[in-house]
Amino acid sequence: MNPDRAHRMLGLAATYLVLLATTFLVCFPLIWALSTSLKGKAEIFATPPTLIPHEPTIDNYKALITGRPQYFQSGSERVATGSAPAEFFGRWFLNSIIVTVGSTLISIAVSTLAAYSITRFRYFGRRIVPYLSILGYMVPSIIFVFPLFLVMVRLELTDNLLSLILGYVSLTLPFCMWLMWAFMRSIPIEIEEAALIDGATRLQVFRDVVIPTALPGIIAAAIFSIIVSWNDYLFGRVFLNSLDNLTLTVGVMLFFEGTHVDWGLLMAACVLMTVPMAVLFMALQRHLVTGFGAGAVKG
Amino acid sequence: MDVALENIGKSFGRVRVLDNVTLTFPSRKFVTLLGPSGCGKTTLLRIIAGLETVDRGCIRFGDRTVNSMAPKDRNIAMVFQSYALYPQMTIRQNIGYGLKVRGVDRASIKSAVERVAGILEIDSLLDRRPSQLSGGQRQRVALGRAMVRRPDIFLMDEPLSNLDAKLRVTMRTELRRFHFDLQATTIYVTHDQLEAMTMSDCIAVMNAGVVQQFGTPAEVYNRPSNLFVAGFIGNPPMNFLTGRIEMNDGKAKFKMNDFALPLSEPWTVASAGREVILGVRPQDITVGSDHSEMALCGTVWMTELVGSEKLIEIELGGRERMTAQVRADAPVPESGPISMCLDTRRVHIFNASTGLAIR
Repeated sequence: MNPDRAHRMLGLAATYLVLLATTFLVCFPLIWALSTSLKGKAEIFATPPTLIPHEPTIDNYKALITGRPQYFQSGSERVATGSAPAEFFGRWFLNSIIVTVGSTLISIAVSTLAAYSITRFRYFGRRIVPYLSILGYMVPSIIFVFPLFLVMVRLELTDNLLSLILGYVSLTLPFCMWLMWAFMRSIPIEIEEAALIDGATRLQVFRDVVIPTALPGIIAAAIFSIIVSWNDYLFGRVFLNSLDNLTLTVGVMLFFEGTHVDWGLLMAACVLMTVPMAVLFMALQRHLVTGFGAGAVKG
Repeated sequence: MDVALENIGKSFGRVRVLDNVTLTFPSRKFVTLLGPSGCGKTTLLRIIAGLETVDRGCIRFGDRTVNSMAPKDRNIAMVFQSYALYPQMTIRQNIGYGLKVRGVDRASIKSAVERVAGILEIDSLLDRRPSQLSGGQRQRVALGRAMVRRPDIFLMDEPLSNLDAKLRVTMRTELRRFHFDLQATTIYVTHDQLEAMTMSDCIAVMNAGVVQQFGTPAEVYNRPSNLFVAGFIGNPPMNFLTGRIEMNDGKAKFKMNDFALPLSEPWTVASAGREVILGVRPQDITVGSDHSEMALCGTVWMTELVGSEKLIEIELGGRERMTAQVRADAPVPESGPISMCLDTRRVHIFNASTGLAIR
């Protein structure tokens, strides 16, 4: 073999090795969760631990989906535990979807319109608003939680999914607006003017020209909002308290309560929580890069 | 339909962009707004389009005042410098969008789009998106979008400036041909005097928000109304010499140091003794070795061959320089003394203090 070629192949092999190792390191918690979720109770605590289950089972997933009560094995007996998070898993999943979709729709609608207004119309303060909007991210979100909780108490919205939707909107809207502002600035105003001259109304221009052109930005902002809303624990923990109303992140913590932790169920719940985000991210990754790229250049 | 602008004024903050502009664009004529960057020509076009409001003045399309009319109601079409095609739409949708939002039925849109695409020879591109087209093709699509609605007035904002030199020449001819075919009033903005001279029926030369001269290309070239127009139109630019009008035996002469150029009568009467500026185009200068009082003497500073012509930069006393244009094969020394004779029938005299032409 040509020494140059051999050298190149060796370099390529080393690169792949490093990439594989890094990917494995990053993905290991998820791999471990997936592995544990597919093991029976005996194998979970086996020593030495196994990465690939010897007797894979989907019992844990079945339990979550059918809402089977949680138990632990005491000799030959199955003993029910104090709390029963698996029974509510489906409900929490639905709650998470409701608050995520709700808050994302509101954030996207408001941020897109706000960004359009800031970039296209002239009024006092429009230049400073985008910069002020991201100031909120300079402080920990726990600072906002309690004032917001008091607002929700006044509005009589505590322990109500609407409170969480509004809370998440307050959390995601500023960044979504900043992102959309950066994106809108990159859309040439001439195409809107061309549409106006073509005979379109302002609303038609927004619907037919601005929205399709801003779609990568909208998708990027939506992904941000979805990730924040889906993964949040703090707001859900403070705003909600009845079992029926919890979201996944708060609910899954209940697997740790009671007399016994069912690791198989817990890991299956974690995997099921992760799947929608992973699928969404992979499907929209291309738009995410375009959207954040526009923000980076113009912002 | 003719377009009349009466006393149009426009400022952006403290910057006055248009100052009392009064102009009439005759019906079915190709009129060019020509001027340097920042002279207000694009703002004027945008005002006609309805994309900018006026601070004062009146805009009339025929006998209708359109000051407060929305762009969509003016029945105009505009071709933008950047083409401004809708990036998410196919070429077919781009061209047909104006008809669609006006509620034209699908079959009529289809046939209108295909008719225009056929004329512009872009019928094979209809299902592509703008990003898949070259600059020239995009330019044609922008033109097609403007043509498809049969507007009363065409507005074009430097539509050729993003094309390469060769394509620009081709498109120039085609735009002119389309104008002949469509017979719509066309207002064309450019800073390129060659485009203005070759395409227009009339040219409005603008500077600093003011219309300096409005006339046919021949008028603005041969009879510039002031120093700005004289210096802006023509390539290479006109040469200027500062001197005085002197009367001698009833005949007027332009006198500058030892140089004296006899002038024809009409200029002299009112201007005798005044400081004036004489303008002469490089093409109206002949070079040689004549050392009479009527010849202007200098030294060759640089010669430049530009195809069939040669440009000679001649240094007068001090740092003052003049350009003469001669045939490429004319025997001109590369350096050393040279004399110039100016064509007295082709010189222009301007008032030194007002800059206005003296006729």
